[in-house]
Amino acid sequence: MDLDDDTSVLSTLKSFNSFISLPEHPQRPSDHSATGSGILHNQYKRSMELLEAAEKVQSKNRYLQLDQEKKRMEMSHKRARFELERAVSDNARDLEHEVDRNQDLVGRIKKLEGRETDAAKNLCEQVEASRALRKNLDGLNKKIDERDSRLNTANQTISSMKDEIRELKQQMQNKDSTISAQTLENQELQEQLDLQRRKYQEVSQLCQSLQAAESSCSEHVIKIKELERRLAFQEEDIAIVKTVKLEVARLPDLEKELKRLRDDNAFLRESRENCSLLKEEVEGLRRKLERMEKTKEELVNMELEKERLAEKLKAWENLGQSTGLNIRKPDDLSREVIQIQQREIALKEQNYSLNSRVRSVERSQAELRAELSQQRSRTMEEQKKREAQDALVRRLQKRILLLTKERDGMRAILESYDSELAPTEYSPQLSKRLREAEDILQKTQNHNAEMETQLTKAQEETGTLKLQLHTVEMELERLKKQQASVADSSSLTTKEEVGILRQKIEDLEAERQRLEEQNNILEMRLERHNLQGDYDPVKTRVLHLKMNPTSVAKQQRQQEVDALREEVTHLRELVRSLQDGGALVHSQDESSLHGSSLGLSLPPSKEVLDLRKQMESSELRNQRLKEVFQRKIQEFRTVCYVLTGYQIDITTENQYRLASVYAEHMDDSLLFKKTAVCRNVGLLL
Amino acid sequence: MTSTLKGITLKGSAELVAEFFSFGINSILYQRGIYPPETFTRITHYDMSLQLTTDPKLKNYLTNVVSQLKEWLFECTVQKLVLVITCLETSEVLERWQFDIECDKSAKESSAPREKSIKTIQDEIRSVIRQITATITFLPLLETPCAFDLLVYTDKDLLVPDKWEESGPNIINQSEEVRLRSFTTSIHKVNSMVAYKRTDSV
Repeated sequence: MDLDDDTSVLSTLKSFNSFISLPEHPQRPSDHSATGSGILHNQYKRSMELLEAAEKVQSKNRYLQLDQEKKRMEMSHKRARFELERAVSDNARDLEHEVDRNQDLVGRIKKLEGRETDAAKNLCEQVEASRALRKNLDGLNKKIDERDSRLNTANQTISSMKDEIRELKQQMQNKDSTISAQTLENQELQEQLDLQRRKYQEVSQLCQSLQAAESSCSEHVIKIKELERRLAFQEEDIAIVKTVKLEVARLPDLEKELKRLRDDNAFLRESRENCSLLKEEVEGLRRKLERMEKTKEELVNMELEKERLAEKLKAWENLGQSTGLNIRKPDDLSREVIQIQQREIALKEQNYSLNSRVRSVERSQAELRAELSQQRSRTMEEQKKREAQDALVRRLQKRILLLTKERDGMRAILESYDSELAPTEYSPQLSKRLREAEDILQKTQNHNAEMETQLTKAQEETGTLKLQLHTVEMELERLKKQQASVADSSSLTTKEEVGILRQKIEDLEAERQRLEEQNNILEMRLERHNLQGDYDPVKTRVLHLKMNPTSVAKQQRQQEVDALREEVTHLRELVRSLQDGGALVHSQDESSLHGSSLGLSLPPSKEVLDLRKQMESSELRNQRLKEVFQRKIQEFRTVCYVLTGYQIDITTENQYRLASVYAEHMDDSLLFKKTAVCRNVGLLL
Repeated sequence: MTSTLKGITLKGSAELVAEFFSFGINSILYQRGIYPPETFTRITHYDMSLQLTTDPKLKNYLTNVVSQLKEWLFECTVQKLVLVITCLETSEVLERWQFDIECDKSAKESSAPREKSIKTIQDEIRSVIRQITATITFLPLLETPCAFDLLVYTDKDLLVPDKWEESGPNIINQSEEVRLRSFTTSIHKVNSMVAYKRTDSV
């Protein structure tokens, strides 16, 4: 709006300016007449101003108009806006309403959907239910049909039953009629029955008479039977009698037979006796026979033994013959045995002597061997010597050869000298030297001879030694032979010896085994000891650190024990002191003194003191109470005595004595006793 | 010492055996309950977990003994190491763990290493310690407070060092003995066994 105003103002201004600028040109010519037209100009100016003012007014008017219009516009605008806003708010409200409604509707839709689903479910259920119902209906229909059929049948049966009922009724009526007829008949029959009864009584009487008759009849029958039996007996008796008669007739025959039989009997008895005798005899004979057989067997055995003995004897005799000894008797044998034993002993002795000889021979052999070895060594030495001498001889021969050569050389030289020089020109020196050389030769030859003699001597010596050796060897062989012969001769003894030695060996073996076992046992024991920690004090020493845990622990323990002991003694003292304190209850200071003497401010002692105080006070109170009671009782009694004139004393327990002041004697009194059960006081006297 | 893969020297053997004793004693003390189990800490050695004491006094004692033992092992003068468990109340010997040591004294002269790998030796040691652990199944229960002592059986000609003194063998009266496994470093052979007091009840 303002912008519009501005534009309008601008447009007016522009138009004004254009208006102003336009009359410039036409006014220029007028300028020529400026002088003349000054008033005009002013007028013009005035008109202009007026115009301007008019224009201003106009513009103002216009402005006002515009303003009004603007206001109106604004108003309308405001109104429009207001309306618009109202419309907007209305719309918004509507919208909200719509939204709410929408939501409601959505909710309702949902509910409806839920309902729909529920309804669908319900529908399904309903369908199912309807189906079930239909089924039920069908079943019910069927049932109904069945029931109808049954009903029909029942109806039929009912009708039939009705018919039957009717029939039955008819029957009933018939029956009733018959019953009446029957009752009539019954009465008739009753009458008849009475008649019959009467008849029956008669009949029963008749029956009784009949029974009596029957019993008599049966008795009769029994009698008859008895008689018949007797008859039968009689008949039997008759038969017996007949047979007896027959037998009696046969009696003499029988007697004869009896006699015969007796004779026979006697004969048979005799024969039996005979028979027993014979049997005994036979038995005796049999025994004899057995004995005979036994003796025969024995005889045969004896004969066999005899033959054996004879054979033995023969063997012995043969032995005797073969040995050439005269063995005929056991004495001979024993003698022989003794002889043999003696011989054995002699042989043993011989054996021992031979053994000793063998041993001596062995010893001598050993000696000889030693000698032989000595000799051998000697021969060896000799041989060595001889060899040395041989070597010496050879050396000497060599030397001799050398010397002879030298001599020959010297001789040649001498001869050359001789040839060169005249014999006259022999110098004494040369001859001297020659002589000397010849002397040397002589010496060496002598020496040689000597050596040769020595050599021969040594050779002779070795020969003798060899001979000696031979002899010694011979001797050795001889001894060996001797030893062998001795061994042969003493083979028996050696066997015995071997046996003994074997036994000894066995004994030794057994002992060895025993020792081995013992050794094993000892080793095991040693092992065990070793396991247990035993040691050899010679080789080993056992060390441990002085400050080992055991000693430390023991020390600690000892210290603890000491401490505990101290504490115990301390506590004992304390207890004793406390006991003493208990005895001296009254002296409070003393107990406190005790406490102080022990150097202990014990809380229990304080407690004890308190308790003691309490006890004292309570005792005091008791005593006072007692005194008061005594006084009061005494008072009461005297008052009773004075007022009533009676005095009640308790003589013993449950016994009371009542004495009156007004009694004739002082000793007159009534004794009462209270029984414990019923608590009644009864008068005793 | 462990760097020698091929063989083992006298020194190495002595160290190995001493180490075994250290672990073995620790494990016996733990297993037999001579010291409370909470004073032990678990470590892994010989490819198995072992218990090692943390009690400073006990540690000090064991290091003393083991170092001395190492010396003696090196000199080949030790014959036995015995762990004696005694009852404190009655001073009665209840158990003896005995380790017989056979020294090859020829190793002292020749310093040539022996042909046995440390791994196999450690395997053997492991089986011995396992067996020590297993023995508690049959050993009688130690019901009273007990203490232990270590005895060393040495050669007679040995000089007794300071802090050490001669002792008795502490033999158990009426004992049962059980031999355990042995191991050897080819220089020192250790036979282990345990003897314990026979109980009348069983």
